Amino acid sequence: MGLTRMHHTLSKSHAMADRTTTVNRLEEVVSTSEEFDQIVLQALPILLDRATGYTKRFLRETGQWNDDIEHEKFALRWGSEYLERFRMCGRSEVPCRPLFLFDSLVAKQHSKPEPFCYHPDLLRPLGRFLDGLVARAVVSRDALIALYRHSYGWGPGEVIAVTGLNGLESQRIYKNFRRWRESGWQRTMKEMGLTNTELTELGNQQQRHRQRFNGEAERLIRVAQAHYRKSEPDHYPCLSRSQWADMFAQGYGCDYRIWHLALCLDCMQTAWGLGTGGSAAGEKPRLELQVRP
Amino acid sequence: MSQEEDVDTYRSRLLESLSERSDRSNRDASDPIQVYVNERRVGELEGTGLGARLHVQCVDHIDMVYLRTEEGILLGGLTAPESGFRTDRVRLSSDTVELCVHNAGQGGSLSAVFIPAASVWSRAWKTLAGLADRLTVRGPEPALGYGMRAVVFAQALTAIAVVGLVADRMTIWTTSDRTSTPVLQTAALPMASIAGATRLEQQLDELARMQAKVEDVLGSQQKGMAQLHQAMAKLSSTQETLESNVLTVKEEKEEIEKRLETVSRETDHRPTRQIASRGRGEQEQLEAAIKNLTADNDRLSKEVVSLEEHNQALKTKLQATVMAASRSVDPGPERLLKMADSLQATQQQAPFLFWVTFSDGTSQESIDKWVHEIKGYKGALNEGWQEVRIVPPAVPPDRFLEQIKGDKIVKAARIGQ
Repeated sequence: MGLTRMHHTLSKSHAMADRTTTVNRLEEVVSTSEEFDQIVLQALPILLDRATGYTKRFLRETGQWNDDIEHEKFALRWGSEYLERFRMCGRSEVPCRPLFLFDSLVAKQHSKPEPFCYHPDLLRPLGRFLDGLVARAVVSRDALIALYRHSYGWGPGEVIAVTGLNGLESQRIYKNFRRWRESGWQRTMKEMGLTNTELTELGNQQQRHRQRFNGEAERLIRVAQAHYRKSEPDHYPCLSRSQWADMFAQGYGCDYRIWHLALCLDCMQTAWGLGTGGSAAGEKPRLELQVRP
Repeated sequence: MSQEEDVDTYRSRLLESLSERSDRSNRDASDPIQVYVNERRVGELEGTGLGARLHVQCVDHIDMVYLRTEEGILLGGLTAPESGFRTDRVRLSSDTVELCVHNAGQGGSLSAVFIPAASVWSRAWKTLAGLADRLTVRGPEPALGYGMRAVVFAQALTAIAVVGLVADRMTIWTTSDRTSTPVLQTAALPMASIAGATRLEQQLDELARMQAKVEDVLGSQQKGMAQLHQAMAKLSSTQETLESNVLTVKEEKEEIEKRLETVSRETDHRPTRQIASRGRGEQEQLEAAIKNLTADNDRLSKEVVSLEEHNQALKTKLQATVMAASRSVDPGPERLLKMADSLQATQQQAPFLFWVTFSDGTSQESIDKWVHEIKGYKGALNEGWQEVRIVPPAVPPDRFLEQIKGDKIVKAARIGQ
């Protein structure tokens, strides 16, 4: 019993010493990209905790913090996001002191008006699922195309028809679907901290109360879309029916159609039927959330 | 699972995911690379074509540039400088994307160029050719450049010879397999192979040394490039400062020109006649004042002359009186002369009287002080004119009056009332 305790104390003090050494190394000047990669890779846990701590403090100071598991996960998720960006961009800053550079990057993010999409309802499993999907769609074309599947239940063919894409783009849509099914969805769920149990429970809720579930999903996805649509290029605002009709008829703005229609429920309704020349213009699409890809 | 465990599991998962992403080689080569500026998608780079490029001009200042796969995996990025240029090469397994960001006062611009990996032969050829070129350029003397080119050419020849030797050896081995008897094979093959291998080893060593030299040269070249980029960045910032200074000077010049225009316009608008008539009036007033002054001066001169004459007459009378008295009393002539002198002195020390007015707002205290300074006594006050008596001054009265007019508090002064 006493030996175990001693062993535990020893290993704890070793860990503390290692941590101090790593922090000291992070404070020293790094001269090459390779050295930067190596030091940062070794210090990932320390840097993640640091970024998470900053995010928690930001949430506390802005009155958005609650001592619960949802908020803890939220802070961890954004800490990880900052760390990933730091790893990639910090290399271009050498020679530098990694720890100070990291702090400045997080501070820069937190000095923005809305550094992340925060809404208490987006911290619960359904909200987290939708937030994860839309947030991922901003940085991944696979996730963007998959949004059509998760929002309306469409397959690649329907997506191609609705957005009025040509042959070359169509091939890409099939590829996006395949890759999302194979790895993208799983990765996104993992990064959002959604467990299999939670995902199964979401599926069950949908089975039991389909209408209520979809209504709630629509409310939350609008919150997420409004935030993440700001990541679109500046020249992608909402359009009127005639403007959309012109775009579809002339065949330009392929990216515009794919991006904006996936991230805007209202424009999807406005532009409904234009991609197929009005042939499939039945009832306007409503949100029918699909949990699985 | 408790809540703490749940959070710990999530943390471990995130860390695992971050560690996995250190391997950036798993990009599907046929997919385009998504380019993001300040977390907004701005376009994509074809991930297959030779020299595919993307140029983006932003109204806003560029902070960050990210490259992502279609799956959203971050491939690389660049932190843009506050102002000026920054270039960086993002390695994607064997391919490279060259990023160049330029931030200026009017916004930022990004240029991204995809450079696909070259094949082994073209890489070798390019390296040799590039090395030869660089050495030629770097060498200060053409002779040295040609010399180094010759060395590189010799290296290439050696490499070809080594390859040929190896091929030849292989051919001999394979043919000897078929033709020689087992006895000959056992005796000749080891000897031939040992000699060949030794030679090959030496040549390989030589090649390795040359390769190390080439790497050194390339390293120094890269450092030179980095210094060049830094110099460019400095130059651009200096240029910006200069431009802003020029702009400021221009603005100031325009402002001055505007002011001058306004002034000249105002001057033009004034009625010239009015100015002329005002000038004429002022001239007339001045002339009248001069005339008055001249007249006064003449009058005063006449008075002075008459006074001097009167004085002279009085002196004459006095002397006559003194002579008459001397005749009657017969006092000593010396005493009588003394009496005459003392009478003249008494007459000369009679107080000098003049009138003076003071500037507006002069206090009584200042007036008293001034009177005290000139050792005078105040007399009557009549319509603002103060009578002052002093011991007759050493200078003529006109000059005395001019002197006291020069005093700060004196507005005007005259002799007569």
